[in-house]
Amino acid sequence: MSLASKPSTKTLKRIRPQREWRWEIAIYLYLAGMGAGSFIVGLFTHWNGFGLSLPLRTFTFWGVPLELSKLALLWGPILVAIGAPFLILDLGKKLRFYTACFNPRTSWLARGFFILSGFILAGLIVLGALSFQQMSHPPLLWRLFEIISMLLAFATAIYTGILLKSVRYIPIWNTPLLPALFLLSALSTGSMGVILSTMGYGLLFPGGGLPHLLISRLTRIEQILVLIEGLILATYLISKYRAKDQGEDSVRLLISGDLRFLFWGGIVAVGFLFPIVLEYLYSHFPQYPGLLFATGALLLAGGFFLRLGLLASGVKERLPMYKLIEMKIKMSAFQRGE
Amino acid sequence: MQGKVIVVDHEKCTGCRLCEMVCSVFHTGASNPSRSRIKVVKWESEGFYLPTTCQNCEKPFCVEVCPTKACHQDLENQRVIIDKDKCIGCKTCIVACPFGAPSFDHVERVSIKCDYCDGNPQCVFFCDTKAVNYVDSDRVGVSKRREFSLKFSELLRQTR
Repeated sequence: MSLASKPSTKTLKRIRPQREWRWEIAIYLYLAGMGAGSFIVGLFTHWNGFGLSLPLRTFTFWGVPLELSKLALLWGPILVAIGAPFLILDLGKKLRFYTACFNPRTSWLARGFFILSGFILAGLIVLGALSFQQMSHPPLLWRLFEIISMLLAFATAIYTGILLKSVRYIPIWNTPLLPALFLLSALSTGSMGVILSTMGYGLLFPGGGLPHLLISRLTRIEQILVLIEGLILATYLISKYRAKDQGEDSVRLLISGDLRFLFWGGIVAVGFLFPIVLEYLYSHFPQYPGLLFATGALLLAGGFFLRLGLLASGVKERLPMYKLIEMKIKMSAFQRGE
Repeated sequence: MQGKVIVVDHEKCTGCRLCEMVCSVFHTGASNPSRSRIKVVKWESEGFYLPTTCQNCEKPFCVEVCPTKACHQDLENQRVIIDKDKCIGCKTCIVACPFGAPSFDHVERVSIKCDYCDGNPQCVFFCDTKAVNYVDSDRVGVSKRREFSLKFSELLRQTR
């Protein structure tokens, strides 16, 4: 190799992201966020927050009347319950998982244990009660319980970001923009999840046809959420890139490093560009519900890639000692005239 | 920092990794550096070697983030230790430590970190070049200042 083709000192610098939290944690964060987001959107819809609700379909299940339209809206806690075992899957000692709640005073992992458990429990009670019992005029206490479950859903969605933020020494995670980004992502993927489930509900029980008005309103809301999420993601990455030692390495890893395919392909294209284009096409050709299903599948995959990418790009702050050594390496290279 | 701590001098380290070897043998009975509590970070092409281990922080962040209280401060012996019977292997302490001190033992499936071998660190005992030392934390600053003064006076002598 000639001297001219030798890599510079800067390119020799190795960016080593954390490898401890991997795809299992990404799935855990994703399902927790999406489940909580879908519950928020579903409960708002149930409260007629969007001026609409699904047509009712009552089935008798073991002699008990079961209202399936509520299941199409409020399935979020089930998804969070499915996601929680992925955290256990990542543990070295899986059978001791129940001890992960012993230090809620300072540990966000322990606090998360309570937040997620509370949300799953409250959400399943709301889902069960509304599915099995029609309440045209719910009592005030029940409404209060629904509000508490909604607050727990918000806490779950934000917690996924706070858990990463609580790890102070990984600069790309240590920003209040991360919980905000995860909340927006939870709401956008959650609303898309509700759109897909209501479409599936409409197709499964075609008597009343597809609830077009509800879907179009939810789609509008979901588009706005995706746009805000995109803006937050851009602000987040730009602010971290400009902060030099405070996250520049992670952003470089994402946009031009080993994770560039995941970032540009998985997060930007699959998570933002394709869904926006497909949704635009669906708005002109609503007779093809397959377009919206494809949009949903891509958007949901993008939400997972977002978490996976941000986890995989977690580079720790460099210690002053390491900086000193790298400075010495640079100086010796300079003295050698390289 | 508090009590006695391990202090390294990277200029004396030759990168032989004997410290990793004796550490793993002492703690696990196996000669397996990946299970060592001390790690030598290498800049191989430049010949820089830096042994890194627990800094015994005064306010340890690993203790703060541990969800099970397995990672705790042993106030009697003034050190931070991980109780492997309580550890669930969530790796939060590994992600959280700014020095990268705790690591994951893939055999025992728990986080491990330097416990100063109950007051007799084997890495210090076996280090031929004395790159790894076990000193009182309040002496660390003094020795570094002395080292700096010596280098500075030598530099002044050369310039005269």
